[in-house]
Amino acid sequence: MNNQTDIILQTETLCKYYGSGDNLVKAVDHIDLQIRQGEFVSIVGKSGSGKSTLLHMLGGLDNPTSGKVFIDGENIASFKEEKLSKIRRRKIGFIFQAYNLIPALNVWENIVLPLGLDNKPLDEAFLEDIIATLGLTEKKHSLPNTLSGGQQQRCAIARAIAVKPSLILADEPTGNLDTKTGDEVMALLKTSAKKYGQTLVVITHNEEIAQMADRTIMLADGRILSDGISPVRKKEAQEVTSHA
Amino acid sequence: MRKTNTVSNLALQRLRYNKSRTLLTGIAILFTTMLLMAIGTTGVAMLDMNRQIYSQSDYHASFNGLTPGQVQTLSSHIRVEALSTAEVFADIINGKMNGVLTYTEVLRDDRTDAADSNPHAQTLTEGHYPEAENEICSSPIFFRRVGADPVVGGKVTLSFRVNGKGEILTKEFIISGLEPDVEIAEGIDDSRLMWAARVSKALLQEYADAGLYEAEPNATLRVYGENELSFDEMEERILSVAADIGLDEMYVNPNKEYLSAVTEPDTDTIAVITVICLIVILFSSLVIYSIYYVGVITDVQEIGKLKALGASKRQIAGMFYRQGAIVSAIAIPVGLLIGFLLPYLLFPLTLWAYRSGSAINSYSRDAAEAVVGQIHMFSLPVLLAAAAASLATVFLSLQKPIRMAKKVSPAEAIRYQENTADKKSRTGHHTVRVSTLTFANLARNKRRTAVTILTMGLSCVLFICVSAVLSSVSAEDLARRNIPKGDFCISLEYAHYEDKEYPENNLENLVQKNYFSDAFLSQLLSIEGVEKVERAPGIILSSTDMPSLMYEDKSRQPLSYFTREDVAELSAYLQQGSIDYDRMTANNEIICTHVYSFEQYGLSIGDTFSLTLHDGSREIPFTATLTALTQPDSNFPLLIMTEDTWKSLGLTCDPTTDIYLYADDEHYDSVKEALFNIVSENEHFTMYAMDVEIMIGRSGIDLTRNPIYLLLILITVISFINLINTMITSIVTRKKELGILQALGLSDKQLVRMLSGEGLVFTASTLLISLTLGNFFGYLFYKWAKQEHFMSISRYHYPLWESIGLALVLLFGQLLITLMISRKMKKESLIERIRNQE
Repeated sequence: MNNQTDIILQTETLCKYYGSGDNLVKAVDHIDLQIRQGEFVSIVGKSGSGKSTLLHMLGGLDNPTSGKVFIDGENIASFKEEKLSKIRRRKIGFIFQAYNLIPALNVWENIVLPLGLDNKPLDEAFLEDIIATLGLTEKKHSLPNTLSGGQQQRCAIARAIAVKPSLILADEPTGNLDTKTGDEVMALLKTSAKKYGQTLVVITHNEEIAQMADRTIMLADGRILSDGISPVRKKEAQEVTSHA
Repeated sequence: MRKTNTVSNLALQRLRYNKSRTLLTGIAILFTTMLLMAIGTTGVAMLDMNRQIYSQSDYHASFNGLTPGQVQTLSSHIRVEALSTAEVFADIINGKMNGVLTYTEVLRDDRTDAADSNPHAQTLTEGHYPEAENEICSSPIFFRRVGADPVVGGKVTLSFRVNGKGEILTKEFIISGLEPDVEIAEGIDDSRLMWAARVSKALLQEYADAGLYEAEPNATLRVYGENELSFDEMEERILSVAADIGLDEMYVNPNKEYLSAVTEPDTDTIAVITVICLIVILFSSLVIYSIYYVGVITDVQEIGKLKALGASKRQIAGMFYRQGAIVSAIAIPVGLLIGFLLPYLLFPLTLWAYRSGSAINSYSRDAAEAVVGQIHMFSLPVLLAAAAASLATVFLSLQKPIRMAKKVSPAEAIRYQENTADKKSRTGHHTVRVSTLTFANLARNKRRTAVTILTMGLSCVLFICVSAVLSSVSAEDLARRNIPKGDFCISLEYAHYEDKEYPENNLENLVQKNYFSDAFLSQLLSIEGVEKVERAPGIILSSTDMPSLMYEDKSRQPLSYFTREDVAELSAYLQQGSIDYDRMTANNEIICTHVYSFEQYGLSIGDTFSLTLHDGSREIPFTATLTALTQPDSNFPLLIMTEDTWKSLGLTCDPTTDIYLYADDEHYDSVKEALFNIVSENEHFTMYAMDVEIMIGRSGIDLTRNPIYLLLILITVISFINLINTMITSIVTRKKELGILQALGLSDKQLVRMLSGEGLVFTASTLLISLTLGNFFGYLFYKWAKQEHFMSISRYHYPLWESIGLALVLLFGQLLITLMISRKMKKESLIERIRNQE
């Protein structure tokens, strides 16, 4: 369980501060955490607790004030923009609350976009499989503004999975969706991640989603308040161990 | 009241928020105002300068070839306000110097303010006008030229031929006065200058009494009615005065420039200026319109929010009008100021440049010099008109965008992304590359893309089009009129009428001397650096006893030949009649090659002339029929016959009058000097050197060409502002989208490639439009300009450098904009860009 080579994502005294003096805001304050390959981690906390800032730094979208972020053992905080963008398109899949599809491109083009940016050949069977899994087969040529919120987010998920990243970072992926759609999308995300052996880090307000995760990290004022295996998983884990 | 404030405040805040858009609109309006004001001010300055220059010769008409009796009648004519006479007493004989001795006299001037009315009249810097028969006055440079010391009281000996004919006389004069000195540009050959000195009435009288001088005074006069009559009425009055003294209309020469300057305040200039201003307004309004148009498309969501909050259509329109008004309030005054200062500073410089490059036309040079410090440039009506035109441009440009903004529905407020028209799907590409992104974005905003390409394209078409004409205005082409081939031309000078007193000046006698013998040509060829010496087709002179304007006053016309190969070119420029080599040979038919002379001499197709051709001492009777009028590019003498007809004449003398020399570049200067020495040994030779001819041509060309280029460049700059705006808008509004692309792994390099790809599409389409349409219309424009004899262009020159320059400026300008914007964007972290919600 504690095998170091298993660690895909790790932070060391990660800090992000805004402002100075009396106005100093410690959005993320000395966070040390390790996430293993294939783990499903949910990050929870109140508004302003630093969840999004942490996730952005994990994905190299934001620069830390101090501290380190290791992906596959490499400190991305020291990377130049060129190398960082390679890491982003090869190792990380992002899913945003606002879907963030490219409006000028159709569903298929949005999905294959990160592959195109990397000049990778398309694994058609794999892509068709994802599209079918996410129920987008009929919508391949549609432009994003003609899709419903759920469809758009499914497209965003497909885009995140398409490059077969080792890490999927999702910021409130169901935040803009109604409960039923949200549950569907989340289930699809989890299934897909599992199917392709990807590590999933999800920020959420949603208690149910948090409970679906292998592990839940709770943040408050930029620090980790608690970090533990979620109750459901705990039970499952116990069953597995006792069984063994 | 509060409502108004809210709208005004909103307008102001929006201007502050969209800084780059505000700045670009401001620059576009500023440039428009500046151009309009600068054009207007230049116009005012030109009109004023013309008026001042023409007022130096403020006579209404000149009457030529008068008898003393007619002068007498004129001086007491009731309609005549002022009268002065000018007569050329004699031609100065001094090597190759072209000079005359003149006498002018004011016979009458009824104007009460006569002394003040002509502030620029040439006055003497020293001494007095000639009174005694041996007195003379001119500018110091004249005296230096004839080898005398230019001091009042000094002596100068001159040789001259009274009335330009008869015996050469030599006389010693005493300098009675000096006119202001003039400078002559270096390197201008003496044969290209005209010199004059004034002598006294006493001298003329003396020669007239001795029967040696036949006065043929030309009178310059003013008639009453300058401020009441129109141009046509003035001309009519002048002709009626001429009729009263029994002078044929042919000898009346109205001073049209002055008359139109005082009667029709410069309709031509005003028309040209109006057209240029309209072009400026057209392009500027397209650009300003395009900036606002793109602004509305971009701000649909914001406008939707305002509507959702209860803003009425009127208030939305009010907001846009106020935005326009606020920017105009700053940009227009600044534009007016710069627009005034630009010509105020540049106009004297241009004139100065013109002066230093031209010594040929010393009259207008002096005149320009005299008035340059006193040109009146400021005009309140022009200033108000420029301001009004700019405001109107802004107002018009706002109409369509405002109509669009009014139509925006409140529902737009909740759409999160830019409207992608009505398309629901797109076929798309199987794989997505950087280029896919580029084209997807351009296709998303087809109208915006089209409007930008169109404005850029139109102004570039204008640029290429006008360049085609301007680049065809070539100093070299002008120079080629005197030196059709090679680098130098040695020309045999001969009398254009029959010179009875000095028959050695007549061509038929000159050719007998065989100046251009093979031995002479070999001598030239032996000069180091001379590569080739070539004889021009020969010329023989023709004369006739028939009454004809062309052969009036015993003048003679040059006659040469054309070959069968020349027929194609001659036919291509055929204006009247027909050209058929064999028919023409069979019937002794001839062609006239100058439209202007054809009209001036009142010729018509079918005219038959009984000519005498002068081949040395032999006279060949030759009856010719004029059967064609053409105006080819190549230089041909006025009248040409076929080569076969020419051969059939059986000329006994070598009819060569011009030879062309080719020199290698390295020895050009030494060849020039050697030729100069050879030529100066023979008074009948004149030498033309390519460098001098080009310099003479260029001085005139630059004066017209440079301001037009400046204007074109400014129009192109205005259109470039539009490209900048489109690119900035397209990037700024997509900041979030670009952020997402980067989050998905688009590297900085790929981003720059994508954005410059978009810019390249603009550049490439603009270039495509300007190089196709521009060249097409440019060629048509050239044809038209040639027909109108604009700056004597004769040959089409492809505007190669202008095209390359335009392409480079577009390419690099566009890349520079892309780099600058993406650099500015990088200052924000990726996540800030993704969060950006404009």
